[in-house]
Amino acid sequence: MIKLDNLEVRFDDFHALKGIDLEVKEGEFFTLLGPSGCGKTTTLRAITGFVEPSSGTISVAGKDITHLAVEKRNIGLVFQNYALFPMMSVYDNIAFGLKVRKVAPAEIKRRVEEIAGKVDLSEEQLVKKVNQLSGGQQQRVAIARALVTSPPIICLDEPLSNLDAKLRVQLRNELKDLQRKFGITTIYVTHDQEEALTLSDRIAVFNKGNIEQIGRPEEIYNQSANEFVANFIGDINKLDAAFLRRAGIETDQQCYIRLERVYVNQLKPHHVDFGKATVADVEYYGLYIKYTLDADGSTFKVIEKASGVDIYQVGQEVEVSFDPNNIMKY
Amino acid sequence: MSATATLSRPAIGLRKITMSWKSTLLTSALLVLFLWIIVFLLVTPNFSTIATVFWQDGAFTTTAFERVFTSPRAVSALRNSFILAPILSVTVGFVGVTLVLITDYFKIRGAKVLRAGYMTTLLYQGIILVSGYRFLYGQNGFITNFLTSIFPGLDPNWFEGFWAVLFVMTFAATGTHLIFLRNALRSVDYQTIEAAKNMGASPFTILRKVVLPVLTPSMMAVTILTFLGGLSAIAAPLLVGGRDFRTINPTILSFSAMPGSRDLAALLALMLGLATFVLINVLSWLERRGHYLSVSKVKSSMVKQKIKSPVVSFFVHVYAYLLFLVYAAPVVLIILFSFMDSGSIARGELNFSAMSLDNYLRVFTQPSGYRPLLISLGYAFIAATTVAVLMILVCRFIMKHKNRFGRFIEYAFMIPWLLPNVLIALGLITTFNEPQWFMANQALTGTMAIMIVGYVIISIPFTLRMTKAAFFSVDDKLEEAAKNLGAKSFYAFVKVVLPTILPAVMAIFALNFNLLLTEFDMSIFLFHPLAMPLGVQIQNLSLEGLGDGTAMTFVYAVIMMAVSAVVLYVAYGRQGAKEDA
Repeated sequence: MIKLDNLEVRFDDFHALKGIDLEVKEGEFFTLLGPSGCGKTTTLRAITGFVEPSSGTISVAGKDITHLAVEKRNIGLVFQNYALFPMMSVYDNIAFGLKVRKVAPAEIKRRVEEIAGKVDLSEEQLVKKVNQLSGGQQQRVAIARALVTSPPIICLDEPLSNLDAKLRVQLRNELKDLQRKFGITTIYVTHDQEEALTLSDRIAVFNKGNIEQIGRPEEIYNQSANEFVANFIGDINKLDAAFLRRAGIETDQQCYIRLERVYVNQLKPHHVDFGKATVADVEYYGLYIKYTLDADGSTFKVIEKASGVDIYQVGQEVEVSFDPNNIMKY
Repeated sequence: MSATATLSRPAIGLRKITMSWKSTLLTSALLVLFLWIIVFLLVTPNFSTIATVFWQDGAFTTTAFERVFTSPRAVSALRNSFILAPILSVTVGFVGVTLVLITDYFKIRGAKVLRAGYMTTLLYQGIILVSGYRFLYGQNGFITNFLTSIFPGLDPNWFEGFWAVLFVMTFAATGTHLIFLRNALRSVDYQTIEAAKNMGASPFTILRKVVLPVLTPSMMAVTILTFLGGLSAIAAPLLVGGRDFRTINPTILSFSAMPGSRDLAALLALMLGLATFVLINVLSWLERRGHYLSVSKVKSSMVKQKIKSPVVSFFVHVYAYLLFLVYAAPVVLIILFSFMDSGSIARGELNFSAMSLDNYLRVFTQPSGYRPLLISLGYAFIAATTVAVLMILVCRFIMKHKNRFGRFIEYAFMIPWLLPNVLIALGLITTFNEPQWFMANQALTGTMAIMIVGYVIISIPFTLRMTKAAFFSVDDKLEEAAKNLGAKSFYAFVKVVLPTILPAVMAIFALNFNLLLTEFDMSIFLFHPLAMPLGVQIQNLSLEGLGDGTAMTFVYAVIMMAVSAVVLYVAYGRQGAKEDA
């Protein structure tokens, strides 16, 4: 559906994108994930036409759009702060793209009402000013506005980043439902790994203008391609020499293990028995508990579900084990 | 690359993608217009003034310097201005700061009424204010009559000369304090005051060590503006300075009227320009040094401080209400006298049985009455509209060209900010005294067009700064969203950017319109004898002596106060009301 081929973007002497290759399939929810300054937003802005690539091509359905003007691309875009026009009503915001295309008024009305219905905006809400709506309703207006012109692709630039945690989760679910309902190819930019993992069909992890890995969420999480991805996605223990020696692992590579893959007092047949460790710190999160353990000067973390288990106390000794297959080596 | 980093760098690609030949053509046309204005209206006239000083009969000369320093009038004017400006800075500073402390820092009974009284100088300024004071404090003025009834030996012409100018200008110039200093005071984080109290500081120490330092940058800025106001004073010295107290600007006015002394006028204007340039740069340096910003995570708003000592409280209240009388009396008396017959006005007597609408009828029905009003309305409307449209275009250009060239255009349009109005006016007169090829071979001096040009030029710096601020407040993403939805650049600007900045542009228009309605400093140099603006008309009527002309001036003053009240409400009032709420 959309293909980026060796895409490079330079701003004076700053190399923002260093030859990106990626392909997003039709109907896919594809996420560009990475820390600040990694190039994910630049990629999105290049796709939507706000940044011109220094080299490389962008094509949609086989058609090269690299140098096509912004207004001619017909790629929907939902901005970080939604960028709803404050002086217009909800209806006029949604109708804007249709008016620009000189669609007949009756058809505009039909299409605005149709899309408003799909995103659960009522007729009363259509006549309101956008600042009279809640954050969730504003997001739906932004999505409706982006979709009303029937673009083949919709891009979303960190649309949940300015919201509080609870609303973010709620809107994340709404977003996923809407994407499923419309079946539209979606490119989503975020720095939030949890958002990326829960929403995406596939994820591209960006770092310093490069893509480090492209894959399904579970691949990215469980088979991280390199140390950067392993560290960026989820919590992970970097295993030091003392740990490896005691676990009987001989390797020259850097070894990592996810927190939830280290077990406390749960030795199983295929586990390596690491032996005893002392609880150095306890962090209670309600749903789960995070322990910092200490064993012969080697410090590592463990996570356990909070339900139905005893909470170990600082200074208490516990038995530690893990499955050697869960160790990621780089 | 984060979104922020992307924005902070020049989006070279964006322009390349979106610039069609139409927009290139439009940009080029705008650029030609801007450069034409900069070169021929902002730079050339001022060079003409310099040329008048240094270039005579085809040769370089410095005789203007010798003539200025051997002319008793010029030397006296320079001395008077440089005495007035610093003393005025002190008196205005003292009155201004105490006004703000009374209205917004201390708990004073009737603070809202007091503030309304103190703010009356925002309603009537410049020539109207000075003529109002002249009528009330001058010979046979209401206040002079009142004072002579108490002190029979008082000279009826007591209100004349340096002290009269200082008095009028002190109370005329505190409006700036009420706007800027009040804002600065309201930005003081109350938690810092509580912290000082908690550490045992006395109210006076808190005021001196915690509150006033936060106000210092604003105080410095308003002091410089006051100093500049003192240097370039024109209305007050002309009307209440008398024969002996002439400052630079009125002297320039006299010299410029004599063909043989134009070089003297130009040199005095240049000196004023140099002083203005230096002081404006000091002001910019102060602005760059920045203000003390609160580092509190959660700022709390000011709570007024109670004056605990009953004696101090009593004296502060007496001082506050005396100031109120000084501010409010002229306004109340002008309004009352505007309904009186010319006899009562000439005698300075409040004769309530002689009150009528006759003066208003005369102003609104007789051509001599309404003509100056209509002329000024026309000038102000055309100039305020022109400058508003022009600065929208300039700001759009600057925002789209955030590079050296854009900055050059911006700084070039700020030139009038560095120059006193009189220098600009003289430059326009000397440049457009004869036909110029770049003005389609037209001579503008003495025409109505030069008034518009002058008004536009002096309105540019304020309009540019405020319009640019309005543009800055528009989220870039709104225009991007419009383009993403298929809108072309112009459509996106008209449908999205313009409606967003329109309220600010309307407020800027209103403020410009209000100031230009009674503009005097430039009008006195440029006015067309058959199209005399209100400011000049008021000055002429004021110099005629008390009588029918005075009655008309009072009516003009009341009308202008009403217009100003509406304009200030449109520009600041609603916002202020929201803030108060």
